[in-house]
Amino acid sequence: MLFTMKDTVKRYRALTALDHLHLAVQKGEMLGLLGPNGSGKTTTIRVLTGLTKADAGEIQLFNKNAKNGKSAITDIRRRIGVVPQDLALYETLSARENLEYFGKLYGVRGAVLKKRTDETLEVLGLTDVAGKSPKKFSGGMKRRLNIGCAIIHKPELLILDEPTVGVDPQSRNHILDFLCEINRQGTTVLYTSHYMEEVERICSRVCIMDAGRVIADGSVEELTRSVIFEETITLEVKEPAPSLPEKIKKIQGVTSCNVENRAVTVTSSAGSGNLSRILEVAAPYVILGVSAQRITLEDAFLALTGKKLREGDA
Amino acid sequence: MRNFSTVFITGFKYCWRNPVSVAVLIGFPILIIFVLGNALSSFISPDYDFEPIPVAAVVETDGNFGLFLQSEEISQFLEVNFTYKENALLLLNDNNVSLVVEEKDGEIAVTRPQVARHDTQIAVSIIDSYKQVSTAMEIAIMGAADLSELSELLKILESDITVTDSPIGGRVPSAIDYYAVTMLVMILLFTGMNGLELFKKSMFSETGERVLITPVSKPALIGGLLAASTVTSYLQGMVTFVFSGVVYGVYWGERIPLVLLTLFGITLFSQAFAIFLTILLNNINAAMGAMQVSIFTMTFVAGGYTKINFGAAEKIFQYSPNSLAHTVIFGAVYGGNESKMTSDLLLLFAYGTVLFIVAFLLGRRRLA
Repeated sequence: MLFTMKDTVKRYRALTALDHLHLAVQKGEMLGLLGPNGSGKTTTIRVLTGLTKADAGEIQLFNKNAKNGKSAITDIRRRIGVVPQDLALYETLSARENLEYFGKLYGVRGAVLKKRTDETLEVLGLTDVAGKSPKKFSGGMKRRLNIGCAIIHKPELLILDEPTVGVDPQSRNHILDFLCEINRQGTTVLYTSHYMEEVERICSRVCIMDAGRVIADGSVEELTRSVIFEETITLEVKEPAPSLPEKIKKIQGVTSCNVENRAVTVTSSAGSGNLSRILEVAAPYVILGVSAQRITLEDAFLALTGKKLREGDA
Repeated sequence: MRNFSTVFITGFKYCWRNPVSVAVLIGFPILIIFVLGNALSSFISPDYDFEPIPVAAVVETDGNFGLFLQSEEISQFLEVNFTYKENALLLLNDNNVSLVVEEKDGEIAVTRPQVARHDTQIAVSIIDSYKQVSTAMEIAIMGAADLSELSELLKILESDITVTDSPIGGRVPSAIDYYAVTMLVMILLFTGMNGLELFKKSMFSETGERVLITPVSKPALIGGLLAASTVTSYLQGMVTFVFSGVVYGVYWGERIPLVLLTLFGITLFSQAFAIFLTILLNNINAAMGAMQVSIFTMTFVAGGYTKINFGAAEKIFQYSPNSLAHTVIFGAVYGGNESKMTSDLLLLFAYGTVLFIVAFLLGRRRLA
């Protein structure tokens, strides 16, 4: 395991932000951490990075514990990169100076620093504006530089706290593609976002948090299967015979079939893979269209937490 | 050490490229010195060609008060026109005199013009000094005070109305010389805000949190920030220092290195004080508020705005950082007690060092 958090508790007076949290990430994973506002995502990151001390529990990163002393803490910090939720840049320094500053703080120096700075600017599409202050950047460019400052030292674990807030679609795609690329190169990624489709797109595993605990953990497919018990397929048939619903109902897993005008709506248990069988039964009729309700991570999230992900957002 | 220099250089760049900070720390002090210096130098500078203030007196010329008004010392300040009451009031209404003074039944009364004149108050103060002497004499005659104490009192009062050259160095500071020192000291105290702004950015903001989770050691981080804010602030103070000398002709004396060392001492103190408040209060905005209040208070008690007699408290206030800096600088420029200057300078540096050490010890846990 790259890191583990066992039985971690963090309280802010009456509020329990982390309630005996268990979370573990393997090397090379791209883990999506989802949860409604106040679910404990940011506290998890703060505890993990040492910005906030946990009240109880055991946290290990790279098989080391912060309790092992200063050298362990320094070593852990050197191997982590963090992209905070808000922009964390020096606006009076240029993009290059920002990257170099954080690179130096992580111990990268000399020719290596110059090479990495150039590479980072290139890969984030900021080479042309390297000498300019982030004050003059668009929101997307600032976000990219914000990420750049966290990867200049090539961390083994990259933690991103909603890094695409307020970013245009083009920059967002750029960022997501970039994250997939560095993950392919071996960087483990812990990613939190309000954008479910981003998590679905890039994360190999998703943990859903609520009230300071992980309430669901698995791949997107596993999560959707675990909470959605039925799936719906709708056929548009030119002249459906009255016997058609009866024939479809005989297919194993189908729980209901209703006809209304041209629409034949079939529900069957999740994961039964009945589409081909239903189409086979309906083949003698003129089928004008087929639609299947796609079960999304959003549906799973809603079912698990009872809240929409962006609920309460301004 | 490497991280110290990294933090120092970046902090230095951050401060100098912050347009608001530069405008406030360079433009503001120059403006203050200009406004206060020019406004006051034309009014109370010893170089000012002082004309005796015209006063109408309804007084017996051969009485004690009459003789007092005719004395040589008083004639340097007051041009007394002995006349009868109606004429005195006419002169006052026509703005030909600044004050009417009348002695009636042993009481002295003054009448001011309806439209205030700046020299009226000076004339009133001179008349008042006579009243104080009279009162003191009466007390002595009644046996309520020892005659030796009375003579001491009379010496004090006498010194109030006698024009003497400054006993130090044969040169008297003009208003702008005085305010250049007090304002520069106050400004350098205010540069602690420079430090606060840099600490806020580098330790108490989103960017600061990002810095705190890097492997940089806390001594390197705090030391680098302190050095950056101190050097920046000192250089900004130097701009004002040079400007005051070149543009306003402020006299900084022959012992410039000692003056500069003292200014460095107050800069170091202000930065250490800013860090101390930040760590003590653990809230950057509260620290900024406390810093502002403290600077105004320290400047006030040190007589930075105007010289005030605080009585017994004066002994305590002379150990305020401003007072220590004033003592050393004025001593360096006009000649002062060397041992007092040395001890005050050392005390100033000691304040900064102790505050920094206490802040560092306090902050070790919080920043761990």
